[in-house]
Amino acid sequence: MPYLYHICQWIYGTWLSTSIRESTWVFPIIESIHTLGIVLVVGTVAVFDLRLLGVIMKREPVSRVAHQVLPWTWTGFAVMFITGLLLSIAESATNYHNIAFRVKLLLLLLAGLNPLIFHLTIYRSVNTWDVANVTPVRARAAATCSIVLWTGIIIAGRMIAYLH
Amino acid sequence: MSALKLFHWLAQTHIAIAMRDSTWAFAIVEIGHLIALAIFGGAILLLDLRLLGFAFTAQPAPRVAREFLSITVAGVIVMFLTGSLLLASGPMRYYYNTPFRIKMWLFFIASLFHFTLQIKVARQNPQQDHSSPGRKAAGAISLLLWLSIGVAGRAIGYF
Repeated sequence: MPYLYHICQWIYGTWLSTSIRESTWVFPIIESIHTLGIVLVVGTVAVFDLRLLGVIMKREPVSRVAHQVLPWTWTGFAVMFITGLLLSIAESATNYHNIAFRVKLLLLLLAGLNPLIFHLTIYRSVNTWDVANVTPVRARAAATCSIVLWTGIIIAGRMIAYLH
Repeated sequence: MSALKLFHWLAQTHIAIAMRDSTWAFAIVEIGHLIALAIFGGAILLLDLRLLGFAFTAQPAPRVAREFLSITVAGVIVMFLTGSLLLASGPMRYYYNTPFRIKMWLFFIASLFHFTLQIKVARQNPQQDHSSPGRKAAGAISLLLWLSIGVAGRAIGYF
């Protein structure tokens, strides 16, 4: 995809990209906020996944845990997305060739599809298993996939800098 | 034993030498440290936000504190162990690193403060739960302490 690479190179040359990349403090500050966003997303997702797996909050209805955790997951996601976009803009031309960056984008796509499938299928019948100690197999499978995918995203994300 | 002697001793242990000699050991241990941080940090954020009255408001605070105790305790243990391995990879480099020293003092204070708070709240009666200005202030202090540890931790690599 050389065309996409040309776009990345053009972005790399823009004022925004250059100023983030060449400043001493802006890059690490955005990076720290990005990490905080990840903590909020992964931490809240993990709490919900652990409820589905019956590790914590077994006495709380699944839907009630979901309702209370989701606004914070979305807040974290917004922070993660905006700061992640800025970091990608700053390193667009180098990230294009970075295998860890490509893997991360793929895993993010899968981590986004997972809850989408979950909400459109098994979660529709949540009323029947809302207070269950042991949730249906498909719900536990979704929770396991979620934990594995987010762990992979953290690994790939950290590897971007090591493979630079 | 002084901290300097402890760090000198640590530098000569087998595990420290293995950490230094390996190409990927540091990266792998650091990633483990970050995964534990994400899960631990998320639980801490939710719990402190609960104490402040912003999150998990449908559940009484003592129940949230009790349910999250396993995550926060396991998280802090994993982070301490992986953090010790990272320290072992170059003790003298960290000994003279100001953000590292600040982070260790903050970690000591935050652990003591947070776990005293979490266990105290977890022991309260969930049936008669009501918020107080003191509890809100404690939640805010815990949140600020852990956030400052994150900032100090990120700064280690820049000094």
